[in-house]
Amino acid sequence: MRFTDLYEDEFDPVLSEAEHVNHLADPSTKPAIARYVDDLRWCRSLVLIYPTWWAGQPAMLKGWIERVWMHGVAWELAAGSARLRPLLRNVRSITVVTTHGSSKWVNALEGEVGKRTVTRVLRSMCSRRCRTRWIALYGIDRSTEAQRQRFLARITRRLGR
Amino acid sequence: MRALLVVSHPSATSYTKAMAAAARRGLERGGHDVEELDLYTMRFQPAMTKAERDAYHGVDPMVDPAVQLSAALVKRADVLVFVYPTWWGGLPAMLKGWLEKTMVPGVAFVFDAENKVRPGLQTVQRIVGISSYGSKRPYVMLVNDNGRRVLLRALRLNTGWRTRRTWLPFYGIDTSTEDERIAFLDRVERAMAAL
Repeated sequence: MRFTDLYEDEFDPVLSEAEHVNHLADPSTKPAIARYVDDLRWCRSLVLIYPTWWAGQPAMLKGWIERVWMHGVAWELAAGSARLRPLLRNVRSITVVTTHGSSKWVNALEGEVGKRTVTRVLRSMCSRRCRTRWIALYGIDRSTEAQRQRFLARITRRLGR
Repeated sequence: MRALLVVSHPSATSYTKAMAAAARRGLERGGHDVEELDLYTMRFQPAMTKAERDAYHGVDPMVDPAVQLSAALVKRADVLVFVYPTWWGGLPAMLKGWLEKTMVPGVAFVFDAENKVRPGLQTVQRIVGISSYGSKRPYVMLVNDNGRRVLLRALRLNTGWRTRRTWLPFYGIDTSTEDERIAFLDRVERAMAAL
């Protein structure tokens, strides 16, 4: 297992002008994020753990996607094609562990932004057989200590499978 | 009306900046007062810090002066206009972080006695999104148009029920022609003038 804590690392989630201009450059020209690239290319299972804010991934995690899932790592463009070709064939499963302040009903109303970002967008750059799992605690703002404890046990149990 | 433009793109010569300029021209032509927050130029820090998270449920959740300025402009605005490129199907981290840090308790919503979220942006009469997409429309629909849903559904849950929504998408920018890009800027300007 490899472990990354983006806040601990003081990861900068802002895609800079230089990165934007050079977005088709070879990943080796971006040594500041080499470790994150290496981890992503190495893993077979990817586990994302975050609180759902404003229906989706926090800016910190969204910025990690924008900067690390770059050209030459997550996707490439074949010459003359407008279709992205996925490169993270090593990733066979993506698991999300998240908390939502609001209820499941409100999340459905908002359109499941965080879930679709993983199951439809990120997954499309991974193995064709990549599976996704969603482990979520809804309504954490109004939850009890017992519910939170049960959720922690559920995370352990499900990731043990 | 007072319109607040919130713009997110790292490059001054980007199409996003051209869309923002077209929106501003239209709003001014329509006789609206325009305020603008250009998040990259402000060097806005989108990652909510530990200090901000700790203060979130307190009396004063706004620690960052850029957030205090943003919240003051949001509270005065009748129209919120978001201009950004769609990345990974949604809002750029910069804009997502601005929402997370600015739309805090006391600005976008309040918690009631049962800790339920209640709307706080009743003065906002309209939310407008102007975004470029690398992909064509069918793919955008397939992956759920997540940026649009955050702004027109999740954010709108915090405004009044009469708040109107306007979405101006430019699909397939990667394969677009110069003529299409110019025509879209014209469409943005006209739509904003006619608000």
